[in-house]
Amino acid sequence: MRGLWLIVFVAALSANPVCAQDRINVVASFSILGDFVKNVGGDRANVTTLVGPNGDVHVYTPSPSDAKKNADAKILVVNGLGLEGWLPRLVQAAGSKAAIVTASNGIAPLKVGSEADPHAWQSVPNAKIYVANIRDALVAADPPDAAMFRANAARYLGELDALDAEVRAAIAKIPPERRKVITTHKAFAYFAAAYGIAFLAPVGVSTETEPSARDIAALIQRIKADKIPAVFLENLSDDRLVGRIAAETGAKSGGTLYSDSLTGENGPAPTYIALVRHNIKALTSALGN
Amino acid sequence: MSAQLQFRDVTLGYDRHPAVHHLAGDVAAGALLAVVGPNGAGKSTLFRGLVGILKPLSGSISLGGLDARDIAYLPQTADIDRGFPITVFDFVGTGLWRATGLFGGIGNAERKKIAAALAAVGLTGFENRAIGTLSGGQMQRLLFARLMLQDARLILLDEPFNAIDSRTSADLLLLVKRWHAEGRTILVALHDLETVRAHFPETLLFARGPVAWGPTEEVLTPDNLLVAMRMCEAFDDSAAACVADPQSRAA
Amino acid sequence: MLTAALITPFTDFEFMRRALAAVIALSLGGAPIGVFLMLRRMSLVGDAMAHAILPGAAIGFLLYGLNLLAMILGGLTAGFLVAILAGVVSRSTGLKEDASLATFYLASLALGVTIVSVKGTNIDLLHVLFGNILAMDDQTLLTVACNATITLIVLAVIYRPLVIESVDPLFLRTVSRAGTPTHLAFLALVVINLVSGFQALGTLLAVGLMILPAGIAKFWSRDISGMICTAVVSAIISGYAGLVLSFQTRIPSGPAIILVAALLYIGSVLFGSVGGVVRQLFPGRHLEA
Repeated sequence: MRGLWLIVFVAALSANPVCAQDRINVVASFSILGDFVKNVGGDRANVTTLVGPNGDVHVYTPSPSDAKKNADAKILVVNGLGLEGWLPRLVQAAGSKAAIVTASNGIAPLKVGSEADPHAWQSVPNAKIYVANIRDALVAADPPDAAMFRANAARYLGELDALDAEVRAAIAKIPPERRKVITTHKAFAYFAAAYGIAFLAPVGVSTETEPSARDIAALIQRIKADKIPAVFLENLSDDRLVGRIAAETGAKSGGTLYSDSLTGENGPAPTYIALVRHNIKALTSALGN
Repeated sequence: MSAQLQFRDVTLGYDRHPAVHHLAGDVAAGALLAVVGPNGAGKSTLFRGLVGILKPLSGSISLGGLDARDIAYLPQTADIDRGFPITVFDFVGTGLWRATGLFGGIGNAERKKIAAALAAVGLTGFENRAIGTLSGGQMQRLLFARLMLQDARLILLDEPFNAIDSRTSADLLLLVKRWHAEGRTILVALHDLETVRAHFPETLLFARGPVAWGPTEEVLTPDNLLVAMRMCEAFDDSAAACVADPQSRAA
Repeated sequence: MLTAALITPFTDFEFMRRALAAVIALSLGGAPIGVFLMLRRMSLVGDAMAHAILPGAAIGFLLYGLNLLAMILGGLTAGFLVAILAGVVSRSTGLKEDASLATFYLASLALGVTIVSVKGTNIDLLHVLFGNILAMDDQTLLTVACNATITLIVLAVIYRPLVIESVDPLFLRTVSRAGTPTHLAFLALVVINLVSGFQALGTLLAVGLMILPAGIAKFWSRDISGMICTAVVSAIISGYAGLVLSFQTRIPSGPAIILVAALLYIGSVLFGSVGGVVRQLFPGRHLEA
């Protein structure tokens, strides 16, 4: 019965003469994935995002309208690696028949303690794998537009290649002994591994854990001992803690690094490429001489 | 040092049912008046109206120029938190509120007054006890001591001798008479007719409305007492609006 | 060796010194309030208030974005409104204080959630609003200190009527009109302490350092002024020991302080000189008179 309504609904949608026929409905779990899908799907894909700009994908609480978005979708693109703990129940509740695409399939996961670190998109090579997975999923779900998806993807992958080169060049300009920073969010492990900058953080992977005095003291001692030049804020967490650490160690406060979410249209990181560019600019200006 | 009360056709009650119905009359300054009536007669309600806790349903009460600080009220059941960590001394000391206000210190003069009040009720030696450790009778005496310190011109006692032994009652009665001798106006609601006949010159026999009011021997006659006893205790849910109520006359 | 454990964390690290200063300020202001809360059977008001401030913070967020000052002012306003409305209702009707507060805070919380969802982002506002004792910057320290000063001054002014009102409200009502203003001033103090406590230190610490020391004090003193002193002292001890504990182990600082306070509480329940369990079981020989 539900399937019948879905068919009627989709048929009604595709009966619209103004829309290109078969605009495929895709739901992305959060803004960065949404950006990838838009770049590959072009105007053949109708993309909606569950956790929007400046949202916190770790602790998101879905609403009924999200369930509806899921129900209408043909593909649901998720990060996987344990990022969206709230998603399985939403999918079940929505009764969605969407194909679930795990964008991080095929990357080599890093570990945080005993669990996988989900922030794989932070390294541009990994982002390329994400894009490839998304392209393959779109092609499989909507074969008539395959050529377009492949062309979009190829173009976007080229842009990502250029971005990767930019990042490497920028980092090469930073003296090796200064390639270490503090942030509040352990979200940059993949960036660190790919590009050789060390990121140290006083709190755990999600925005919820609280540090002990010992953790902070150890961090301060480490910063002083290793002469770490800069501390960065992430756009969601307690900046006062980072500020305190900066004040006590003489490290420079470098501004904001964006990790888990794009900003709004008017912010400095409205797309993934803008996000990476912003981050690398902030890093180089804080760490360079 | 005395006051005069006027009840101007006052009706007090709950939920529009009258518990004191059309009471009119005067209490002379310096009077010692017993208010007598069966259970549910409205005695406590009358006192609440006098103190200002209950607003009249119609009519008014004139306090002859007294304000709240000149009235001392001992309710029948006090909602006192006996578990509160306060000593007898401090508790009685709150009776000096009128004199000390927010910040006034408790100096030597005040300490002497507190000690005198405690002595008058026989609670010397209890100063550092927490109030939760006192018996019912001791608590009542404590409340009397506080009342003393209030030094009020109008004193209202609602069934003050309930549940205390006769020796204590006798002692407290002496205190009441002493206050009367000092010229204060005192109204006491009580049950025990023997005590009333023995100690109170004036009585108001009350059963929702005044049954008789005047010198005790004239009021506490068997006929009057019978009328009072016949008063119906429960409120009448099907009662109509009172014709004598000025509001209904206007409507 | 012991000095190293107890003193050096504070001599070595500024954030520890600041945390200790904050805990002392919080104890001075919050512990006396907690004693009155406990005596007036309002111990759960802290948790209620944490939720009640949400619509105020939400409106601040709606109007000014993630501006901390706007959200705090909004939170304070909402807190005052709820506390005062609850106070007025319980004084003028038969509804008791706890029920009155419960109804208002629930309504407030629902309103807050609605307002936040209208804006459409899922940022956990309360999470952003709540701070951490290890992150005491100058501004927050100043706030906590001002708080303590205001509280002590106002408490000194309303002390006498507050005590009378707590033990025999009818008496105060018949001799003075100070009852209602005193009550409302007390509620205002509660709100100020809680909101600035949340913002500086998080819910657990702000409420915990109010209520637990009051519970401890009950077992050592029969008199309210003694209770207040004991409460303040035990709050400071808990704070100090908790910080040391958090420094030596991996326990987060807020929970560490509360755990120490809880241990002190259990010790008081067992061995307290006023009504402690052990004293009741083994009263010793009775006296001559």
